[in-house]
Amino acid sequence: MLAVAVLATAFLALPIVGLVQRAPWSGLGDLLTRREVVDALGVSLLVSVVAAGIVLVLGTPLAWVLARVDVPLRRLVRALVLLPMVLPPVVGGTALLFALGRRGLVGQWLERWFDLTLPFTTAGAVVAATFVALPFFVVTVEGALRTSGEDLEQVAATLGAGPVAVLRRITLPRLLPAMGAGLALAWARALGEFGATITFAGNLPGRTRTLPLATFQALESDPEAAIALSLVLLAVSLAVLVPTRDRWLPTR
Amino acid sequence: MRPDPSEAHPPTGPRFRARPGARSEQLVLLLCIATVGMVLWLTAFAPDDDPQPLRVLVASSLVDVVDDLADAWTAGTDTRIEVVAGGSNHLAAQVRDGAPADAFLSADAALLTGLAGPDGPSGANPIRELAHNHLVVARPADGPTRDPADLHDRSLVLVACAPEVPCGGATTARFGDLPVDSYEASARAVVTRLTLDEADLGVVYATDVAGHAGLVPAWPQEPTCPCVTYAVLPLTDDGARFVAFLASDRSRGLFTEHGFTGHGSSGEVTG
Repeated sequence: MLAVAVLATAFLALPIVGLVQRAPWSGLGDLLTRREVVDALGVSLLVSVVAAGIVLVLGTPLAWVLARVDVPLRRLVRALVLLPMVLPPVVGGTALLFALGRRGLVGQWLERWFDLTLPFTTAGAVVAATFVALPFFVVTVEGALRTSGEDLEQVAATLGAGPVAVLRRITLPRLLPAMGAGLALAWARALGEFGATITFAGNLPGRTRTLPLATFQALESDPEAAIALSLVLLAVSLAVLVPTRDRWLPTR
Repeated sequence: MRPDPSEAHPPTGPRFRARPGARSEQLVLLLCIATVGMVLWLTAFAPDDDPQPLRVLVASSLVDVVDDLADAWTAGTDTRIEVVAGGSNHLAAQVRDGAPADAFLSADAALLTGLAGPDGPSGANPIRELAHNHLVVARPADGPTRDPADLHDRSLVLVACAPEVPCGGATTARFGDLPVDSYEASARAVVTRLTLDEADLGVVYATDVAGHAGLVPAWPQEPTCPCVTYAVLPLTDDGARFVAFLASDRSRGLFTEHGFTGHGSSGEVTG
């Protein structure tokens, strides 16, 4: 058992080591201040932060309904929520194109009524990132809501607290750690999004070319830059693990 | 309002362990059925085993003509050809990393010179020029007609190949700076943007326009260079035989039929 476990750990660690040992450390500062890298970082930050905001606003009520309200078709809704987690992102992007593209099911009306087209815009990249990131938040928060139960809330209600007071004083404070963890995961997922973005939003420096897209592009012409970009994404991913470590890394 | 304990939910909290038996048995059964189904599918539709197919790497803009070439080759030799299509840069990187292949048809001869040296995987095999392909500004067939000034109209959605790939390099050489809305990994990806009507204009190959009913030239255009020149590099002896076949009248005709020009005009290119 132990030998296999060591092997599995090595398997997971090896690519990271491979990446780090190939890093052009001396030229890193130069690579990371290049125009295309800074552009990609800007797009990535904007897209992932806005997507995380939308995830928070849309995901919290959804998680609450899934955990607490006995709505019809709840299982179906939950399956739908989980789908983007297991769906290949390229499929998600293609589906988004046929739903929200210029000739898409809903997209054609968006264009006709609001003169709004999503493909090839930063907003489109946000839509793609939100689509893949939302489940991570909903699943985390819903799980926490179920685990914490409703006892305290019912007690508070019997003691005369109104629904708003219960939400503000009991539910939300108890939920905050899970919301933080869920948001960190969703944000990291949005930051790393590639397939849905390139399929739905296209690839233009400064508008839709995020860090993963820039990494992919750099591999064609400038592997050193691709490694530098990968290091940035790796560092960011590690930074996400740190505040959420209590949740995912039991300290025992 | 009470949570249903039998419902699967995320791996947090004690209720996850409620009735684990029934759930996991179902899951394992489902996985087994899915796996068996895929294996059956595979065995039912897997191609018959035949003597080692010839593996040919081709730039994605050559796929249509190479499919026809492969049919002609197979009819004559009884050897199947496995076509691996992709961006020339990607394919070149694969060859450099030792991917098994018998020949490489690239949209950029310069990529081959890097592989053809005596130390390269192909030994001292010569590079042969195959054909030219010209760039065309295309529009969706059912869209409005355009004129050359529209190429710089920022209100229109224009897609082109990324400068890193051969068609993108040719696009920059031919048209200079354009207000591009999305850089695609291949001319085929540009074609898809146009046929899905997500873009108003796209820079593609003349052969793409000839091969797709969904797009037409945005305005009448003469074949003009800077353009793309395809070249082929044999990587094995079998590959060399296929490359010799590419120089035949038969394959010359197929290239012309698909809209390529200047087939086999200048012969060997020296690295």
